[in-house]
Amino acid sequence: MLKEVNSAEFKELAGKGLVLADFFSTTCGPCKMLSFVLKDVEKEFGDDLAILKVDFDQNKELTAEYGVSGYPTLILLKDGAEVGRLQGLQQKPVIVKLVQDNK
Amino acid sequence: MGVLFKEVEHIIDRQYQAEQEFLAEYAKEKHTIANPYVKLNPYLIAPLTALVMFENEKPAFAKVTVKGKEKAGDMMYRPVSDSEHMVLPIYGLYENYENTVIIELSTGETATLKIKTEPAGEKLKKPTSMETTSEYFQDFVMMVSPTSPAYTAAYDYAGDARWYNTLNLAFDIKRARNGRLLMGTDRLVAPPYHTSGIYEMGMIGKVYREYRVPGGYHHDEWEMENGDILILTQYLPRGTVEDACVLVDRKTGKILKEWDHQDVLPVYPVGGSGSQDSHDWFHNNAVWYDKKTNSLTFSGRHQDIIINRDFETGKLNWIIGDPTGWPEDMQKYFFKPVGDGDFDWQYEQHACMILPNGDVMCFDNGHWRSKIKEQYLEAKDNFSRGVIYRINTDDMTIEQVWQYGKERGAEFFSTYICNCEYYGEGHYLVHSGGIGKKDGEYLNVPGASMSEGIENGSVQLSSITVEVKDDVVMYEMHLPANYYRAEKLHLYDEADEVTFGCGERLGSLGVTEEFLTEAPAEEAGMIPDDYHAKIAKEADRLVFKASFEKGTLVMLNLEGINGAPNRHYFVPTTKRPFLAMCVGTFLDHDPRAVEFPVSGEGIQGTYKITVTIDDKKYETGVEVTF
Repeated sequence: MLKEVNSAEFKELAGKGLVLADFFSTTCGPCKMLSFVLKDVEKEFGDDLAILKVDFDQNKELTAEYGVSGYPTLILLKDGAEVGRLQGLQQKPVIVKLVQDNK
Repeated sequence: MGVLFKEVEHIIDRQYQAEQEFLAEYAKEKHTIANPYVKLNPYLIAPLTALVMFENEKPAFAKVTVKGKEKAGDMMYRPVSDSEHMVLPIYGLYENYENTVIIELSTGETATLKIKTEPAGEKLKKPTSMETTSEYFQDFVMMVSPTSPAYTAAYDYAGDARWYNTLNLAFDIKRARNGRLLMGTDRLVAPPYHTSGIYEMGMIGKVYREYRVPGGYHHDEWEMENGDILILTQYLPRGTVEDACVLVDRKTGKILKEWDHQDVLPVYPVGGSGSQDSHDWFHNNAVWYDKKTNSLTFSGRHQDIIINRDFETGKLNWIIGDPTGWPEDMQKYFFKPVGDGDFDWQYEQHACMILPNGDVMCFDNGHWRSKIKEQYLEAKDNFSRGVIYRINTDDMTIEQVWQYGKERGAEFFSTYICNCEYYGEGHYLVHSGGIGKKDGEYLNVPGASMSEGIENGSVQLSSITVEVKDDVVMYEMHLPANYYRAEKLHLYDEADEVTFGCGERLGSLGVTEEFLTEAPAEEAGMIPDDYHAKIAKEADRLVFKASFEKGTLVMLNLEGINGAPNRHYFVPTTKRPFLAMCVGTFLDHDPRAVEFPVSGEGIQGTYKITVTIDDKKYETGVEVTF
């Protein structure tokens, strides 16, 4: 699953299983590129991974709660607990490894 | 519509072609001392140099005198010339001046030549003040390397420029054992100032070798006793900068050994100075090798520390710096101040060195001058200085034994860059090269990035270079620009013999990281002119330049022809805010300007170049072959 969510939806979905949160901005080139990378990552993991895209500028409380200071930032959650974080544009193999290491 | 495409010759190739041309011209007729062949600026980039060539009936030694504007300004030297084929380098000409050069041969013949030079233009800055004597300074020059728009140049005792270089050379200047200069190249590999490596250049301006390193060069280099070169670099794909050093083989350019500072130091936010961020967490701006202890000493501006590492093992030996805020397990590496005299820690320092007696000298910029944010000093209340510490590594104590500059306060304060030199006990150079004012107030950020303010006059940059002997100021030069380093030297060095032949490109630019995901986009014809796209093809790489609004998605695509694979490169359009803009001479006035190089290594083949901009893919009409 790959979908853009607001804070309420995020909180509802983030507590179960493996969740990859993508804190992005619509004014950021690397964020745009990362969205294409995440589409490829989604194909790799299917239902085993939920990718939730969070607009950095529209969800300030959530970004503060997760200590996100810049974009793009990827946070991997396992049953709601943070198990990994990547900052900046990442290549697909790096993200795939992070997820596989934490499955 | 389309892009501006240009094949750009490397300086080594351009100089070889120029050399072939002037040698051919020389060969057209017989030249003797009565009608010598004179070539001004033979290697295109050092306009105050010349070559004088002629045949003599017998082998002879030559004495060259470039006449000064007054007697004290004479520059005299005796080139190695015990041959009948005379090739005499001429150094020390004045710009925009009819120079007189006298050549005297050991066989008795003499010649007086007139060599007229061109005006240098605005980038050759003139000192606003020069206080010294010709008796003290003799026929030395002070060579300085710019961080704001200016030429690398060398000034005599009177403040007259006697040499300058028109390439955009940056950072450190060192004279190698073969008499040539080691300086950072002008070939940008990553913004804002990381360049391809080091040039080894004769004073005549000829680039004999380029030493390329995959992560690019910044700040400093060091020549080992066997000629190999330590070069400060980084691992670009890792996403951090200025945190590694490599040892490069002098003959082949191959990397022999590496030191990664992430192996021995905790990274951001540990120990952070006021300028630290996660990207530039250490900011290694100097390296020094000490033979006695077989160790390397590095300056890390963004942790306010000077560290010492074992050359062989890389092990961390000690740290000089304010230990406030460092974790408990690192405290054992720090020193404890002792002694009754004045003591200050250094902050955001540069140019660390180990003196012959083991003392440690550096330029203490003092930027922020605290580890505690609430106690950061404003520029008007701060100072910079040269400082010498005496360290005892047995009981881990440190004593401050000398300083110069604190007493001058803000007028000598440089937030960034600068250096010291040791000439002998009590005899030092202290170069405060990064002084700045904006609207009359002292700057607390590097002035090199303020190109608009420099142009409109609201920002004034300056540099003060001082030599102190037994606590007496013997030399003080003020220049109206910022200069990274100052190095006193003679223009002529007998080891720096002019030799003919093509220079060499050694080492490696590495392979530019490809982006594995392709951004989907629809074909949209030729790239619009609005992007001001340019592609330069060099022998070992291509460089893509264009203008994009911040946040635009841009990919440079090399679409393979005749079986070559397609390759994609993500082009960043969001500029990272650099808190330590050490060198501003590579910055474009257009904030939208983007420059992206692709190394030719590992991509042999022919490619059509296209550019993806958001959801459109544009043709450029350019094909390249590597």
